[in-house]
Amino acid sequence: MSTSENPEEPTDQPADQEVEAVASAGPDPTPKRMAWMEDTLEWGVRTQPGKHGLTMRDINTGIYGDVPEESQDMSRRPRGAFPIPGVPRTDLYTLNHKVELWADNAADLYEEAIQRRWMAHIDIPWESLEPHSEEVELATRQLCTELAQQASIETDVIGQWLHHMNYAYHEVKTFLATELFDSGRHYAAFRQRALANGGGLGLESPGHMNRRILECRAGWTETALYLYILRGTLTLLLYRYGEAYAHNPAEKLLFRMCLQDKARHLAYGMAHLKYAVDEKGPDYALGLRRLMGGVERDLASEMKDPVLWEALAIIIGGGVEHMETGMAEVKNLQRRYIEEYLTRMKWIGVDKTADNLDQGLAAYLGKKESSPA
Amino acid sequence: MPIIGQHIISLAGRDRQRTYTLAAWRIRKSLTILSVPISICITTRLKSPCSIYSGINGEADLMATVTNRADYWEKARESGFDLSWLDQLKQNTLGETTSEFSENNTGRVEGSIPRGDVPQFGAYTFRTKKDVWAHNLTKLYQEFVTRQWSSATDIPWETIEALPDDIEAAECQLATFFAQVEFVASDVPGRFISTMSPDYHEVRMVLIGQVMDESRHLDVFRKRALANGGGLMRMIDTVSDVVGGNTDNAREFTELSSRLHITGEGNVLTLFRLGELMAYNEAEKAIYRRCAQDEARHVAIGVLHLRYMNEFNPERREEIHSYLDEGESRQASGAGGENPAARNMLTSEALAVLLGGGKDKTDEGQKILMAIRQRQTKEYFQRLKSAGFDDRITNGRVNPALLELVNPA
Repeated sequence: MSTSENPEEPTDQPADQEVEAVASAGPDPTPKRMAWMEDTLEWGVRTQPGKHGLTMRDINTGIYGDVPEESQDMSRRPRGAFPIPGVPRTDLYTLNHKVELWADNAADLYEEAIQRRWMAHIDIPWESLEPHSEEVELATRQLCTELAQQASIETDVIGQWLHHMNYAYHEVKTFLATELFDSGRHYAAFRQRALANGGGLGLESPGHMNRRILECRAGWTETALYLYILRGTLTLLLYRYGEAYAHNPAEKLLFRMCLQDKARHLAYGMAHLKYAVDEKGPDYALGLRRLMGGVERDLASEMKDPVLWEALAIIIGGGVEHMETGMAEVKNLQRRYIEEYLTRMKWIGVDKTADNLDQGLAAYLGKKESSPA
Repeated sequence: MPIIGQHIISLAGRDRQRTYTLAAWRIRKSLTILSVPISICITTRLKSPCSIYSGINGEADLMATVTNRADYWEKARESGFDLSWLDQLKQNTLGETTSEFSENNTGRVEGSIPRGDVPQFGAYTFRTKKDVWAHNLTKLYQEFVTRQWSSATDIPWETIEALPDDIEAAECQLATFFAQVEFVASDVPGRFISTMSPDYHEVRMVLIGQVMDESRHLDVFRKRALANGGGLMRMIDTVSDVVGGNTDNAREFTELSSRLHITGEGNVLTLFRLGELMAYNEAEKAIYRRCAQDEARHVAIGVLHLRYMNEFNPERREEIHSYLDEGESRQASGAGGENPAARNMLTSEALAVLLGGGKDKTDEGQKILMAIRQRQTKEYFQRLKSAGFDDRITNGRVNPALLELVNPA
């Protein structure tokens, strides 16, 4: 490792002298031949595959399962690997405390994500797609454009945080890699659906929430609050309604598979947020509640934009002539969204209620519309 | 044929709640429209009691009613719906070419309709096609998706049996190395994804695929180290003695791709391809075989990108050659941890143990390792040729240590 970078350096040593050459090198941190054979912090680990194969949880044994509360190791040293002195920093990781990113279920969710992988271009019966009436087709394109953008923003958000996370918490990093991959698949699948029957895409998102999620710099936990509780709750509902009102097997399966993925993402997000709030205490929880004040106003403003809701009303109603019926169900969706937002906030330990909710959002509560859907 | 796409047929009976365009309805019910545009003769195999109403020319025998959609739209608008977006969607068509310069700073999906009032929060660093592009990435992404595998269930862990201590230690040392370095190729591409305009989503998608693969590699090698009576061993120093740019620090995509995909991943790919030589059971063979498949895709990203650059950005060839200079230096020396088979590396000792068959047979192992280095270099030269940068092999620019490997004196 200490050899010169000089490309002119002669390298014509016979192969059988190479190892000896290591021993004679000057400042080499591995001067003694085969010295590394003794360098382990724990030896004799023999994990066995279980019912679900050899999982990440299975290998979290002995010191290898000890997740530190804090890590100041700025290299990529695998957790439990033998450290060597004098290693320069690789990066200045900013998420070095367990409380800033951890969730106990991350390792299991990582394995689940891989076990439940699917392929949009093969598993979705695209041949079952039937042309809708013109308005339903346009509305479907609009919905799919919105969902593709939500997925794309999610890839940006995870991509920009992943490299800030310390290697001591590889369970979270690897899980988030699966979420990134899932989101990429959602993006590709919804874009594919939007374009499947010819024509173009719909309008871009209004952008208020995308900006909030992407621009969040307060921490991963705060970002997770936006990404999972605020945005994820809506995305999950849109998938649910998309499945319920799908017009053919392809769309039904597409929404169902995405729903399954999204539920997994929220499982991590909820577990992390609850862990962070439990560990950091009521002052932090109060801070999160206050943080949401301005965000809720942005959300209320974004929810006034008619494009997504009208598209859904057309899809649910089955056409423009049945939009009133469809819109009644959309209002139920909006009400459920805000209700679930409050429920999730309460579950993680933040005292968010209808009383301290932004009035623009509170207006969606308590109005159950009757609809045949 | 003005009817199709502009009018609907309303069905009574079991299908009454659905309306279709003529074209859609024809496909749905396997109907054949025998004459158009006005006289609609329909043969039908409808099973349910169903009346078809038609307003066209008053053809009461089929009772088909075609209603102009504009009436419904007007009524909906009168009820307070906006619907202006529907008109915008009708007029939006997808362009066939990817724009050379992306004005998309709002994270919108490529081809979607921009709104004027969205903040430019994307502020993407990479907004020029020629900085990031490569051909055939959609197909490559599909391969990423299709060839995913599970380290938990697709590796026959039950085939692992106890190994001599020196072999197990060498296997664990190598696994520790891979567990350490593989996620580099997750962290860094992840950072680039978030700084690249969504208009170049094909590039973003293959990088996303790479992030997934590399996280699985971290995972599978950690599992190997802890599956057979061993443990993780000595970490490596990937930072000291790196001359020039570092993979972690790259801020430019072509620089990153040259270094990460062509040099770093290329070296590891050769090693994985020769995994049979250092595997002691079916589980290890499966690990190397599957990882090799993954790495081949990652290398392909780089080769395809450099090929595009060579073809469309020849003015950057000299700059790319300078990245290759650095990469070759590291390939030969092992600095930066980019080549575990390089001379004088901790991992090359471990490899010599595995390849020779024990710590007392490393001389034999070193000979095989020399052959591996030669193979690495040959494959690297082939990539240069494929990308259009093989002039450096013959014009004296290539690292002489590599040339020596391929053409020993």
